[in-house]
Amino acid sequence: MLAPPGASFALFLRSFMSGVILQAINGISLAALLFLLASGFTLTFGLMRVVNMAYGAYYLLGGYIGYSVARRTGSFELAILCGGLTIVVLGFFVDRFLIRPIGHNHLAQVLLTVGVAFVIGEVCLAIWGGDNLRVAIPPWLRGGMELPGGLFYPKYRLALIVLGTSTAILLWLLYHKTHIGAVVRAGVDDREMVNATGINVDRLFALVSALASFLAGLAGVVGGAFLTLNPGAEWDILVLALVVVIVGGLGSLEGAILGSIIVGLLDAYGRWLLPEFSYFVLFGPMAVLLLFRATGIFGKEQ
Amino acid sequence: MHTLGQLARTWALAVAALLVGLGAAPAQDKGPIRIGFLPPITGPLASPGAEMVNGFRMFWEQNNMSAGGRKIEIVTGDTTCNPDQALTQARRLVLQEKVHFMVGPLCGHEGPAVSQVSKETGVPLVMDAAGADNVTKWERVPTVVRTAVSSSQIGHPFGEYLYKELGLRNVTFIGQDYTFGHEVTLGAIETFKALGGKVARLIWNPIGTKDYGTTIATIPADTDGVAVTIVGADRIRLFEDWFNFGMDKKHKIYGTYWLQEDMLPQVDDRAVGLIANSLHYASGIDTPENKAFVDAYAAKHKRIPSWFAESAYTAGLWVKTAIDSINGNVEDRDAFLKAMRTVQIKAPRGPLKLDAYDNPIQNVYVAKVEKTKHPALGDVLITRPVKTYEAVSQFWTWKPEEFLAKGPYKR
Amino acid sequence: MTARVLLLVAALAIAAALPSLVGEFWVTLLTQIMIFGLLALSADLLLGHAGLFSLCHAAFFAVAAYTTAILQVRHGVSTALAAPAGILAGTILSFVFAFAVRTRGVYFILITLAFGYIIWGVAYRWASFTGGDNGVTNVPFPAIGGLRVAGPTQYYYVVLVAVVLIALAYRVLITSPFGLTLRGIKSSESRMRSLGYDVGSHLYVAFVLSGLIASIAGVLYVYYNRFINPVAASFPVSLEAVLMAIVGGTGTILGPFLGSGIILVLRNWVSGFFHYYTAVLGIVFIVTVLFAPQGIMGLVARWRAGNRGEGA
Repeated sequence: MLAPPGASFALFLRSFMSGVILQAINGISLAALLFLLASGFTLTFGLMRVVNMAYGAYYLLGGYIGYSVARRTGSFELAILCGGLTIVVLGFFVDRFLIRPIGHNHLAQVLLTVGVAFVIGEVCLAIWGGDNLRVAIPPWLRGGMELPGGLFYPKYRLALIVLGTSTAILLWLLYHKTHIGAVVRAGVDDREMVNATGINVDRLFALVSALASFLAGLAGVVGGAFLTLNPGAEWDILVLALVVVIVGGLGSLEGAILGSIIVGLLDAYGRWLLPEFSYFVLFGPMAVLLLFRATGIFGKEQ
Repeated sequence: MHTLGQLARTWALAVAALLVGLGAAPAQDKGPIRIGFLPPITGPLASPGAEMVNGFRMFWEQNNMSAGGRKIEIVTGDTTCNPDQALTQARRLVLQEKVHFMVGPLCGHEGPAVSQVSKETGVPLVMDAAGADNVTKWERVPTVVRTAVSSSQIGHPFGEYLYKELGLRNVTFIGQDYTFGHEVTLGAIETFKALGGKVARLIWNPIGTKDYGTTIATIPADTDGVAVTIVGADRIRLFEDWFNFGMDKKHKIYGTYWLQEDMLPQVDDRAVGLIANSLHYASGIDTPENKAFVDAYAAKHKRIPSWFAESAYTAGLWVKTAIDSINGNVEDRDAFLKAMRTVQIKAPRGPLKLDAYDNPIQNVYVAKVEKTKHPALGDVLITRPVKTYEAVSQFWTWKPEEFLAKGPYKR
Repeated sequence: MTARVLLLVAALAIAAALPSLVGEFWVTLLTQIMIFGLLALSADLLLGHAGLFSLCHAAFFAVAAYTTAILQVRHGVSTALAAPAGILAGTILSFVFAFAVRTRGVYFILITLAFGYIIWGVAYRWASFTGGDNGVTNVPFPAIGGLRVAGPTQYYYVVLVAVVLIALAYRVLITSPFGLTLRGIKSSESRMRSLGYDVGSHLYVAFVLSGLIASIAGVLYVYYNRFINPVAASFPVSLEAVLMAIVGGTGTILGPFLGSGIILVLRNWVSGFFHYYTAVLGIVFIVTVLFAPQGIMGLVARWRAGNRGEGA
């Protein structure tokens, strides 16, 4: 059945455009998830100069706990709460008794937190086994919805975008428009001065760290609903979060936002257009960026 | 408060008792048969690995841990689904633990690594699970036999199924981008095209694809069916995305390798009625052997077994049958291998025997997901065969020489 | 000084006698320990002596291994050419990746992480060339001229000799003015700059040299395993190389090998009776950082200092 060349080109263009839009939404939904994890990571680095490689494991454990809670109670909200709070408690102990003694030695931090991640990973394997587990999506978010333009898209991912965006706005407001946020910003710029003004820096750190931990656990539950949880998932997500943080600049909230969007879009478009080179599409630009601007887009010189 | 003297005396008595106990053990003629078992216990395939362990153990426990008049000892090495680990563990089992033969590994790319150890040391390898075509075609090792399946062996019948049974002519194929995915998918495409079918599109997905929205969006509108070969976590992700993106309203999807029993507990009733796999095993196979196997497994492990469990169980059955036929003389490796190559067994999955290239000739079942009430587990999802291709060889209908001349299925 | 030399000679004698004392499995495990110890040593040239934490050394290791494997298996090239070609290929890659020395600290870590991933991605995806996840199998034992390595025991000696020679060369390097400059850079880069040293060039050369050592380890590895697969280029391999150096003691020659021994014995022996040995590994890391940040060699040094009554 022959059609005039113009018509098939128009068809191709239409499907290409809808592909572009679809990938953009896919990318932003992944960006939302990455932001939840990366924002905590970047803030703990910015404020406390701590590189915590156990964030992926926090994500995984939080997710598994959320999975079990959701199964037992049927409540997604409770799952998020429990997942987040568990990591807050765990994170507190790790910070206080393991990370604090070693000070600002990044090398030691990496080794220690990798060790912690290994232990958490094995504990998860022992408790939840090796199956790919999926956190149950609440019924009102199941299935898809029709978007303007005829695109049918999963409700859950749209909700994820909403969650990510609101978290970003909330954090931004907290960071830039509140007193506590101002103190944190001052602490990122110059810890000693903040200490000198009599503000309890330790308590501040604990607060920021707790928030970061909660976000990691939350990310696990939320991510576990569409990415599934399994051994190794903690490293997959951590690598992406690291790229976000490098590209955006360590210690910068705006960087985490922008970095998440860039990585999410690169991942989506990369997989769509060049699936063979998916890692290259992600890491290539990152490597190039770092060579020219070693601290990332919004990072500060050390 | 114990004095040192009292403590020492207690210890001495305990040690003496131990020695006496050991000495009193009956002397055996040849000692136990030691099997080197190579599943992935930790790592990304820990779950199929657990099934492999369960299946294997269940068989030996049912058979009193003995074969050929001797006791069986299983020595396990965790391969973590990593070829280097598999290699080192295989060497440890052979050189250090002095096993008589090895069973495993599970992951396809571990197959060549463990085969290499078998080749170097002459210790027989019963390859259970790992499916790389190469092992029983182009890169055979005389001391390696396979008891599971060769990847393309399950793809070939499915191409015919798509054309003849489903009447499809313009199919989109989605495959996982690694050796197993290539061999299964391309095997199906080969037979489908030979009958006159057209490939609407061939899409490869890397393992660990996070979302299938991308892939789904590239399915051509004029295709009359989608055939998927997917492994691991991606099976669930594709399942969710298929429905969430509303694809179930637009196209029909068929699993060449998609919905196995290990992940069925994670999906809901939307799976019922879908063609799940074209595979050498389905939990719904209606034979007394399989019913007994499934019931025993379900009673013990509270889940329906997948092919990983059955494969390991049958490896045990095959090995025992061979050992029994040579009166337990596994030290004679040639005799053992010959026995493996000549015995015919009735496994839960059906009748099995090895072809001239050391791969089983067996049934391939195209199976659908079905919801059923199991006496011990209640409502469960299983896979039930809807078409059986009997006595399928790894070469399908080609002559071995012809098939080998074509070369391996490569992307 | 003489006591030290005697100790070393004794150690060498034991190492040479080991194959006849222990079973074949331990001989292969020891060979593996030496090879990965060499990889850890290469990473430690940057970490212990220049203060740079690299996560891409598996890339050089793997590129060298793949080059040699592909030349031997697919093109029938002899060891005499394939081995140097592999070393060259890995070293050329390190010339390119050495640009990373333009960054410092955690950024260096992350950019080398990226580099490592890129090579792993290529090894995995460029299946037509690398064999994809199946890798390249049946690499023969090395053979130069009429000499052929017949088995694992002979290969153990080949690796032992190679490692000893490289360790000696390494010692010369780190005690040379170049090595001392590196340590100066590690302790205070600004000071070295103000003293007029060309920090950039020094780090660049150090990076390439460490890539060279990693490449040699890669070639030794491919003849040990006789099979190469993308896992060899993966992130865990790079990470482990550094962790081995840290656990054993950075900045020393023996440290990386000790670390390699600890981690590989844990993985290959402990895994035989305890499934969750990765957790044990994690605990080893945690304990090392908290109680022995200088690694095993650091503990040894502290113990010796304590015995002699010197200040720690």
